[in-house]
Amino acid sequence: MIAQATILDDLSAIVGGEHAYPADESQRFVVDGMTPRAVVEPGSYEEVAGVMRYASEQGLAAIPLGGGTKRHIGNLPSRYDLALSLSHIHQIIEHEPADLTVTCQAGISVAELDRRLRVHGQRVPFDVSHGQQASVGGVLAANTNGPSRPAYGALRDFTIGIRMVTGDGRITRAGGKVVKNVAGFDLCKLYIGSLGTLGVIVEATFKVMPVARLERSVLLSLDTPGGACALSAELHRRGLALSHVQLSGRGDATGYSWLLETRLAGSEGAVERSENEVVGLAPGSHAQPAGSDVSSTDRFSGEHFDDSSLLCRFSTLPSRLAAFIGAVQRLESPDILAEPATGILRVSWHEIDGATVLERARQIAASHSATAVVERCPPELKQHIDVFGDPPPAFQLMRSVKQQFDPKGILSPGRFVGRL
Amino acid sequence: MKRSSLIRDLQGAIGRRWVLHAPEDLLVYEYDATIDRGLPEAVVLPDDAEGVASAVCIASNHGVPVTARGAGTGLSGGAIPCEGGVVIVTTRMNRILELDPENRIAVVEPGVINLDISRSTAPYGLYYAPDPSSQKACSIGGNVAENAGGPHCLRYGTTTNHVLGLEIVTADGVVVWLGGKTADTPGYDLTGVVVGSEGTLAIVTKVIVRLLHKPEATVTLLAIFDTVTQASRVVSSIIGKGMVPAALEMMDKNTMDAVEPFVHAGYPPDAGAVLLIEVEGLKEDAQEQADAVASICRELEAREIRIGLSQEDRDRLWAGRKGALGALGRLAPSYYILDGVIPRTRLPTVLDGVYEACDRFGFRVANVFHAGDGNLHPNVMFDERVQGATKKVLDLGEEIMRLCVDAGGSITGEHGVGYEKRNYMSWIFSPDDLEVMSRLKAAFGASEIFNPGKVFPTSKGCGEVSSRMRAAIARVGADAFV
Repeated sequence: MIAQATILDDLSAIVGGEHAYPADESQRFVVDGMTPRAVVEPGSYEEVAGVMRYASEQGLAAIPLGGGTKRHIGNLPSRYDLALSLSHIHQIIEHEPADLTVTCQAGISVAELDRRLRVHGQRVPFDVSHGQQASVGGVLAANTNGPSRPAYGALRDFTIGIRMVTGDGRITRAGGKVVKNVAGFDLCKLYIGSLGTLGVIVEATFKVMPVARLERSVLLSLDTPGGACALSAELHRRGLALSHVQLSGRGDATGYSWLLETRLAGSEGAVERSENEVVGLAPGSHAQPAGSDVSSTDRFSGEHFDDSSLLCRFSTLPSRLAAFIGAVQRLESPDILAEPATGILRVSWHEIDGATVLERARQIAASHSATAVVERCPPELKQHIDVFGDPPPAFQLMRSVKQQFDPKGILSPGRFVGRL
Repeated sequence: MKRSSLIRDLQGAIGRRWVLHAPEDLLVYEYDATIDRGLPEAVVLPDDAEGVASAVCIASNHGVPVTARGAGTGLSGGAIPCEGGVVIVTTRMNRILELDPENRIAVVEPGVINLDISRSTAPYGLYYAPDPSSQKACSIGGNVAENAGGPHCLRYGTTTNHVLGLEIVTADGVVVWLGGKTADTPGYDLTGVVVGSEGTLAIVTKVIVRLLHKPEATVTLLAIFDTVTQASRVVSSIIGKGMVPAALEMMDKNTMDAVEPFVHAGYPPDAGAVLLIEVEGLKEDAQEQADAVASICRELEAREIRIGLSQEDRDRLWAGRKGALGALGRLAPSYYILDGVIPRTRLPTVLDGVYEACDRFGFRVANVFHAGDGNLHPNVMFDERVQGATKKVLDLGEEIMRLCVDAGGSITGEHGVGYEKRNYMSWIFSPDDLEVMSRLKAAFGASEIFNPGKVFPTSKGCGEVSSRMRAAIARVGADAFV
């Protein structure tokens, strides 16, 4: 095996001395308890390509990292030699407000991009927690979406171009900078959600949208998840100006409290009418327009899950969501955050026996035709499970894609579906 | 005798009745909406995925290529058979298998006609959003292959944004599902790469589509301008103000001249351009957007604005746009439909460039296109029978594509690459970019069997076809769409 000192020397020659160093104990680059042999921080696409060529030649396994907020997603890496940090590649390359598109580098944080676009009254509709830290590249690699998906689309809908450095160090581009484009295979779709296993995302181009002129929230306390789901379906059927509908529930064996948060965005007339209809449809519920004190403990967001001992993301049909919640809530009373319109929910347990709870959670998922992915659990548990569950029907094709893109197995090896 | 054994094998698997091989039967399948031709060895019409898989395996055993075909309305040659190959026609696979209004999804077979999905879901207040102009004729399988667009893609996105899952037959004849009915499915988004792969990766045998609620209110505006430049400025201004209407279409003077005698839309004879703008949503939103659009049009000196609220009025405003291509067919024996995309801010300058190039080449051009997303469709009128005209019109097309690429755009927005534009792929993609795309093709094991020679240049393509530059030159008549 090549010595660590040699690796550092060689990497320094590519990125400059101060940008290649041994990982310290700060945990910043630790993935599932594994510490890399070296951290490398390239400052340009060419340097990323140089690092990947080197990794390929030496057979060193690299994990690309942005803000590191989603390191907990994925299977245990089978090997981890290099932490490839994108945080020094963080510029906005091109933003022509009148074209409603923006091109930026992978290392820019979601919050920084947002701040720069809001100056022009625009935004990319990212919907993630930890936006200060989370990088655009990391959000793409992990395919992180939120409850605004029905209103504004998912990453796959508003990402129109991706520049990716391949495992063998080629700087390649997929898609383009125009909003409509069918030239060649749409590899952007392939890279979104590939979790660093096919290449290193270094740049992306997005459709941007105007910041809503008016945005308000209505919080509704409801007795049952079924009532919340039915209400949400009716709001969508009416085509109200919804930008976000999310149901949160927490409780214990004696009872749960449910809170439906609806955010409304659009013109003044549309928001006002929508708000009236939301409140009108939920008589007896407690509506709280945004701006009033909603810091109640009943309300929580994705950040709340940082200290979960087991966090799972399930995706079921919206029509089965209420029944699914009913079943999963009886399993050790977890905290639940659900999107009624998409049928996606995140369920978080604390201080439980992870293996037992997970097994039962997966049984519940299977009986409700839901997919189940473990988003967070201790590395010890990861040793015994595939966090993505049983391989999907098209696993043979996925394996063959991985082999074509990463024949040497150096790109986040082991982390993906079926331990690809 | 290789040929007869291929036919025999196909007949054994699919049934004699559904295997065509007589020359007069094959002729019907040798073309699509382009002028290209390719005579297949056999045409099969299987009824299900197993039949498709058998046909793929048999073709593979005989070493002949396979081309999937839906309704044959494509504008880049995606359904043109490879000489000597097998065509798998999906028209018998035309069932809507599942309709789930509660979850707003439908599972359909590839031969289902685009518009039939919306017709079947209308009683539930739902519809399927992508609306290529050929939607009364084109099949959803073809839409998936080409990632078809349409006027309303400006707001709602193209086919890829509305497909959740696909059942496909792979090159080795395996039937497998990609994606699924739920919003998230673990693994690589293979659905996303098969959509738009122009029949080169797999054959689609089932499609899960997402349905949308019909908007509460829709307002259509038609604004008439003296010049194309004025109309282009209105487009830039609407987009620049952050408004994304449902549709934003432009027609120029030549198009209006062609349309007026047939549609009687009441376009003034000296007008230079017309914009068709549709906004929708809650009635409060639609009204506010319509007012904002109208005021931009007035500010930029629209000479007339017509507004349609009822379905009947709106249909009347759309009539000219929908009849445009058919009408153009009457002006010249042939026309060449181009499809390019530019950043929306470049609309005025690139359109000037298009007119200048057409003048220089001596061709008349009519522009009727999706202005809101910068998707140009110059229709160049010419006479195929004139010696050298086809070559000249192709040279002009190449120059216009150059204008789009130089402006930072793309060589196709919705028609696909096919044969016609594969030589332009290198203008927007580097050899490394193309090499990475070929990895995907290799992963699907599809390098030689499905639609060889299309999208990417190859030495092992459809023999004679691959050696020539081909053009999407639409047939004259009302059956042409854009």
